[in-house]
Amino acid sequence: MGVTVLQPYSVPEGQTGPQTIEFLAKRLLALGAVQASTFIVDCETFIPNPQHGTPKTVHVLHNSEYPASTFAVLDTGTKQVPLVADALFDLLMLKMAPAHTSKKQTKIESKGARFEYGDFLIKLGSVTMAENFKGILLEVEYRPCVIPSNCWELIRELLQGFLGVSIPATIPPYFNTPSIMSMNHPKSSEIFNPNHTKQNDVYQPMDTINQYLEHFGNFRKQTMLSGGTGIGAPLRS
Amino acid sequence: MSTLSGPISTAKDALSQAVQSHIIPNQEYLLQGSILDSSVEHLLHRLKGLCDNVDTGPEPFHDHEVCMSLRTPNQMALQLRVRRSLDCDAPHQLRYIGQAELGDRSRPTLVRSSIDVACTSTVMDFLTELGCRVDFEYTNRGYMFRKGRMKITVSKIFKTGSNKPGEMGPEPISQSYLVELSVLAPTGQDAIGEEMRAFAEQLRPLVQLDKIDYKRLG
Amino acid sequence: MSREEKQLEMLLESVLSRLNDLKLSIGAMIHKLETEYETINWPTFLDNFALISSHLTGLSKILAKELGPPLRNLTVLPLHLSPERDESLWQLTEGRVPVFSHDIVPDYLRTKPEPAAEQRMLQHEQKASNLSAEAAMKQVTQYNKVVSHIAEMVSKTREEWEIESSARSGVQQTSSMTDTQALVAAVGMGKGLKVTMPVSVPGSAPSGGLMVPPTIRPPTQMSSVSPSGVNPLGKAPSSIKTNIKSASQIHPFNQR
Repeated sequence: MGVTVLQPYSVPEGQTGPQTIEFLAKRLLALGAVQASTFIVDCETFIPNPQHGTPKTVHVLHNSEYPASTFAVLDTGTKQVPLVADALFDLLMLKMAPAHTSKKQTKIESKGARFEYGDFLIKLGSVTMAENFKGILLEVEYRPCVIPSNCWELIRELLQGFLGVSIPATIPPYFNTPSIMSMNHPKSSEIFNPNHTKQNDVYQPMDTINQYLEHFGNFRKQTMLSGGTGIGAPLRS
Repeated sequence: MSTLSGPISTAKDALSQAVQSHIIPNQEYLLQGSILDSSVEHLLHRLKGLCDNVDTGPEPFHDHEVCMSLRTPNQMALQLRVRRSLDCDAPHQLRYIGQAELGDRSRPTLVRSSIDVACTSTVMDFLTELGCRVDFEYTNRGYMFRKGRMKITVSKIFKTGSNKPGEMGPEPISQSYLVELSVLAPTGQDAIGEEMRAFAEQLRPLVQLDKIDYKRLG
Repeated sequence: MSREEKQLEMLLESVLSRLNDLKLSIGAMIHKLETEYETINWPTFLDNFALISSHLTGLSKILAKELGPPLRNLTVLPLHLSPERDESLWQLTEGRVPVFSHDIVPDYLRTKPEPAAEQRMLQHEQKASNLSAEAAMKQVTQYNKVVSHIAEMVSKTREEWEIESSARSGVQQTSSMTDTQALVAAVGMGKGLKVTMPVSVPGSAPSGGLMVPPTIRPPTQMSSVSPSGVNPLGKAPSSIKTNIKSASQIHPFNQR
């Protein structure tokens, strides 16, 4: 396990999503990367039934990189509670079904090929929501390191190198938030230090999930600009 | 080259496949009993001889269990249990336990559906925010034995008061240890019941392990 | 009866086939030793040994868990002994045993003890006959004394055990039904556990104290936990509905 950074990639004008992905894959292979199977990250959002009264959304995510786990994030509107559980958690979620229903049309996933390139793991994900193509999401993992701030520069350089675009030098905003896991530490009030952000913390699989959730939320917002029901609100409001 | 040759199977697909092929252990077969504090040594001794942990000895445990329920209108309350170890660093266990089926006299054990999920320590927060209420909680301390697929626990149940558990000598529920014999198995493996009944027979007359009807205890 | 006979026959058959295997591999070994003694190397030699020993274990396995009647309970009787040369026997044994006579039978059918055993018997008998009657008597009484002493010890311990175990199983009670019910009700439905609130729920600090108690009914004493009200396993009675109302009133998160 290392540090993972997500990077959306906009499809150039006049090209289709699959074409762009093909193009990126070719470039990766030319660099010397090796394709190593495929990956999928999916997200299903459960919203409470109106009569139930609690305005809390539950996002349930799976990451093929961690096949035995289910990730859940409960969004109260003011804070997010993450949960990592055995894959059987999905069955439990069904038990809770009367209180929560899944909105099928908001089911969103990112899937595609997975490349190994030295110490890096690169995934070219095409994001689809209810079977409709939404965009491209790149995942880059630098495996030998677990502290984001120590390897962001490396990841950035790789991204710039093969995407051919300039990436801002600052670490993505997600890593500037206080660590969720340490906030849930029983003695969080004692050890909590507002300057201690995620970029200096040990990276955890939940961080990947949170980033996906953030980006999925953005993709959903793009499509719901007209409706604007606000499901899958951005991670930090 | 094509990057997307063939559909990529999702975790949901894999799970529903596992459900269909009956490999998910979601049935708990259970027998319960108790033993007086004065005789517990005797029972532990016998279990040491009968069970698989011969070389390692019984496994001590000290758990804290919280029972929560999620109430929804015109639905039966969904009961969930969260268990965490107080003596070692282990994942929390989230557990759903269904209604117990006693069956008729011919059925050797009580059967109830059960989903046992290991999870992070955020689970309490998660459930509370989801709207679950704490019904009750307790700590139990004792020993766990294994015999094949069977799990045998001998434990003392304590109330969790305002005092920190374990420090001020929490108040025990009774002058006995709870003895439970259970197996978690996939649906349709009723044969295990007979095996359990045979094992329970070996603990008599020290302990009477039986199907206990919850409804009659209310 | 016929079933037993059949089993015996099957057993004999399998033993016979094993014996044949064994014989063949020993024969092959001897042949090798005789013809290839100049070229044979250790590994092949040892392989042959391994083969023979595996046949032997196979044979002893069959004999050990012999199906049907145990072979040692059966007696082999020589029905007809004759000093004449027997052609059919000669052929049957591949030229090894030409006659079935009084000389041979004790060895082949083991009507005599093994030579080694026989020798030891003889030694002991000699020793005994050399002993004077008085010394023998002395030894016998001494021996009897030791044996009876040990017997006494054993029976005494047995008596003690019996007393102990009868006291255990008969008089002392080891479990109580009421305790079982109390424990199961506590673990299963929280009977007797709901009074000791509030609970420490990590993360629900701000209003947790208020929200967490069940508020299903006033927490007075154990007896107030009536079967219908809190039994979560029974059918949800009407009281639960009212409880939901009261619960949602103090719900801290419904401001949105």
